[in-house]
Amino acid sequence: MNRSVLRLLYVHEMKMLLRARRTVVMAVVLPAVIMPLMLYGQKYSAGRRVRLLSATTYRYAITGPLADRVRGLINQTRKNLNDSPDKESERLKQFKFVEINVANVRESLANGEIHLYLETMTGEEADKLPPKNESGSRRSNGSRSGTATKRIEGVPLFTVVYRADRDASDNAHDQMLALLRMARQQDSQSSLIEHGFPGDPKQLFSVQDSSVATHGQVTGSLVGRFITLFLVMMMFTGGAVASMDIISGEKERGTLETLLTTAAGRSEIVIAKQLAITSVGLVITLIQGLNFLLYIKLRVIALPKDFDLQLPTGMALTLLVLFIPLAATIASILLMISTYAKSYKESQMYFFPVYIVSLIPSLAAVMPGISLRSVIAFVPLANVSVAAREIMMGRPDVLMILVTLGVMVSTAAYLMRASARMLTREDLIIPAHVEAAEFLGGPRLFQKRVLRWFALMWVVTFAVATNVPALASFQRQLIFNEIVVMLGAVLLMLWTYRLNPIEALSLKRVKPAVWLAIVFSIPSGYLTALGVFRIVNVIIPAPQQLLERFSEDLIPKSMPAWQLLLYIAVLPAICEELAFRGILLSGLRRKLRPAALVVGIGLIFGLFHVTLYRIAPTAALGMILTAIALMTGSVFPGMLLHAGNNALGVLAGDWFSPEMLLWSHYAAAAAIFALSLWIIYRNRTPLPTR
Amino acid sequence: MHAPVVVRNLRKIFYDEGRGEVKAVDSVSFECHEGEVFGLLGANGAGKTTTLRMLSTILTPTSGTATIMGHDVVSSAQGVRKNLGFYSATTALYPRLTTRETIDFFARINQYPADLVEQRVEYLIDRFGLAKYADARIEKLSSGMKQKVSVARTIAHNPSILIFDEPTVGLDVLNALDVQETISELRSEGKTIIFSTHIMSEAQRLCDRIAIIHGGHILACDTLSGLRDTTQQHYLEDIFVLYVKAGQETV
Repeated sequence: MNRSVLRLLYVHEMKMLLRARRTVVMAVVLPAVIMPLMLYGQKYSAGRRVRLLSATTYRYAITGPLADRVRGLINQTRKNLNDSPDKESERLKQFKFVEINVANVRESLANGEIHLYLETMTGEEADKLPPKNESGSRRSNGSRSGTATKRIEGVPLFTVVYRADRDASDNAHDQMLALLRMARQQDSQSSLIEHGFPGDPKQLFSVQDSSVATHGQVTGSLVGRFITLFLVMMMFTGGAVASMDIISGEKERGTLETLLTTAAGRSEIVIAKQLAITSVGLVITLIQGLNFLLYIKLRVIALPKDFDLQLPTGMALTLLVLFIPLAATIASILLMISTYAKSYKESQMYFFPVYIVSLIPSLAAVMPGISLRSVIAFVPLANVSVAAREIMMGRPDVLMILVTLGVMVSTAAYLMRASARMLTREDLIIPAHVEAAEFLGGPRLFQKRVLRWFALMWVVTFAVATNVPALASFQRQLIFNEIVVMLGAVLLMLWTYRLNPIEALSLKRVKPAVWLAIVFSIPSGYLTALGVFRIVNVIIPAPQQLLERFSEDLIPKSMPAWQLLLYIAVLPAICEELAFRGILLSGLRRKLRPAALVVGIGLIFGLFHVTLYRIAPTAALGMILTAIALMTGSVFPGMLLHAGNNALGVLAGDWFSPEMLLWSHYAAAAAIFALSLWIIYRNRTPLPTR
Repeated sequence: MHAPVVVRNLRKIFYDEGRGEVKAVDSVSFECHEGEVFGLLGANGAGKTTTLRMLSTILTPTSGTATIMGHDVVSSAQGVRKNLGFYSATTALYPRLTTRETIDFFARINQYPADLVEQRVEYLIDRFGLAKYADARIEKLSSGMKQKVSVARTIAHNPSILIFDEPTVGLDVLNALDVQETISELRSEGKTIIFSTHIMSEAQRLCDRIAIIHGGHILACDTLSGLRDTTQQHYLEDIFVLYVKAGQETV
């Protein structure tokens, strides 16, 4: 990486963006101007509405046999408003009502002469009416009838008839209802007192609340829920205009080809463009943040009561460290959209769906019950959203924040590399042509698509496990995951890309010494893993409750041993090995070096074992199985080791407990395991890789 | 000693949704010598631009090899681009930069010695008579001026190899003559120039050797007098038609 070239390109990109009137207006000026205009407009119209409604004198009429009684109640209650200090009375005092006499109340309501009328009925008349829903019902003329509770037989009924489509009528009805409820309360209270009740029935007992959280914690929780969402929205909307100009615009102007023929490397071009997008996104986020502070200062935006945002340096720095890869990830996504699109217009078309999809994981912090100590830590954007909430609530989980950081940095690096690769795609530079792999299909296209297949398989496995109750049982979920998802996808890939099954699934014989080594590696590997787990548990203790639940989930007590072995040992060994060490390894091995294959396939294997505490050990097992497949060139030894390891997981608990073993036992097991791997290495018939 | 440009059996296959597999360039081989203008003469769609795009590393060859100043176009793409100035109708200028900024940017990005850039920029502004427009944005310039800035940015880093892909397309006679004159001057400075065109008179006037390309194949490659001797035709247009017809019959 040539830093001076990178700096030159970055300055060049920024110069181009700042000189583009369209970009500056769309990305900086418009959001900065529109937001206050909208807020002022909204505040002005709300204020005007309140002023208008409070200045209006609401006209009403009363009909029916109990008109006098209602009139008396209303007058009495309005008089009493002056003696009541509560908020409701204060509010009702602002509104002016006047009763007028009209010949036909319906007509008067329709032509706006009155805002509402009160229809009174005696108990007998009301009892004859057809029954209504408790929450109110709609009349044939469309007006709403507001009886909130079931009417006791024989009591009179007062109906407020109004027009919900007219602001003043609707508002008048709200106030009249409130006034009538207050009248009812006062009426019933005086009845109780008349019948000997000693005081106000509201004073029988007192209710109050008390939160032990500080204002700072409450504010942190509130801001923490939305800060990532806000950032993602700002970065996307701010960076989008810049990103569209930066590649799609260059394509349109014909300058991309000029740039690609210079001595600058593709990665330097991409990084400079990403830095420019990130800079624009951050500047716009900053402007919007300052805008909000200004609105708060000018009282355009009202903060919640007792708002007290505390952001100590450590907390701010942790958030910043998490937000940097977030910004880089968003910049990469935007750059990829812009590179993929053939024109400015096309990139605008792609932007909106990508933006909406990216907002979904950012909402994770708003969802109740989601903790960072779960699979969410591995979901980009969602993990930062939840981590930011936990940090701002003052409950940072250091280990999981590190995991989040690792995932985000890897995501940003992967997307950065992918966008650099996109700039070498000829079909994106010269749009009339199709990439050879896309056109020819078959094994070359398979190599390009295999990771997408596994991403889809992961989504299906995860979505079904959490959303389909019919597949929630142990057997059904295993059968679905192993046979439908794993085996089904393997067969579908073989068919779709016309792959040779023997070649693609590495169905090859191995030397007898390898089988011997595998047989030894099963118990020794299992004990080594137990030893490693005990050491790790000393450093990072896994919650006991979680471990118990995990073993309950995995091993149902009532199931016969042969069935357990079938479901836990045999089925996963066959299906998962065909999927991960067969088809996935076959798809990736020409593109990656052996070490990257071992780590990558191991991690993907781990991610399919959704619970967090299963990901790390299964990823380690996945790495060993991938290494064995690479060394032997066959999927079969891994199948035996996988089945043996899982079988021991089911049965070994009945034979001994890990605490019975000494460290020397673990050391001996590790030595035998290492020896087994060495034998496999010595008898290797490796798969060709990059 | 290798020639500055060596092309061996270069092939490029495209996959087009409408036409299927298209062999845009098929087993093209040639060499260019120092200080010569090598002409690629062919009709539209003959494979000239694809060949030159492979030489400038924008496209990757399907097979075959090509080296520019000893750098392979696939394995040492950046080395190729450092030694190359690429000019084509599709390589536009940044409209929001000024003339001076454009030449300065391309000199620096192509790693011309930093302490000499300013001097080089002034020299090129002076050479192409751009002083009056040095601080004007490209978007404000006339097409003739833009053409001059384009040539200036192509040679900003003083590369040994220059590729001009149909540089006179869309230019009026005077501007086209200006470009041809510049190419002649660059040859006299010892540059190796690959010049593609479909205009016979240009090829005749400028090129030391001419390769006639058609349907992705090079049908003939010689000096103009060599081509005349072989075909017994005087006019390049007749020579071209003769080869193309013979090529079509062979196909």
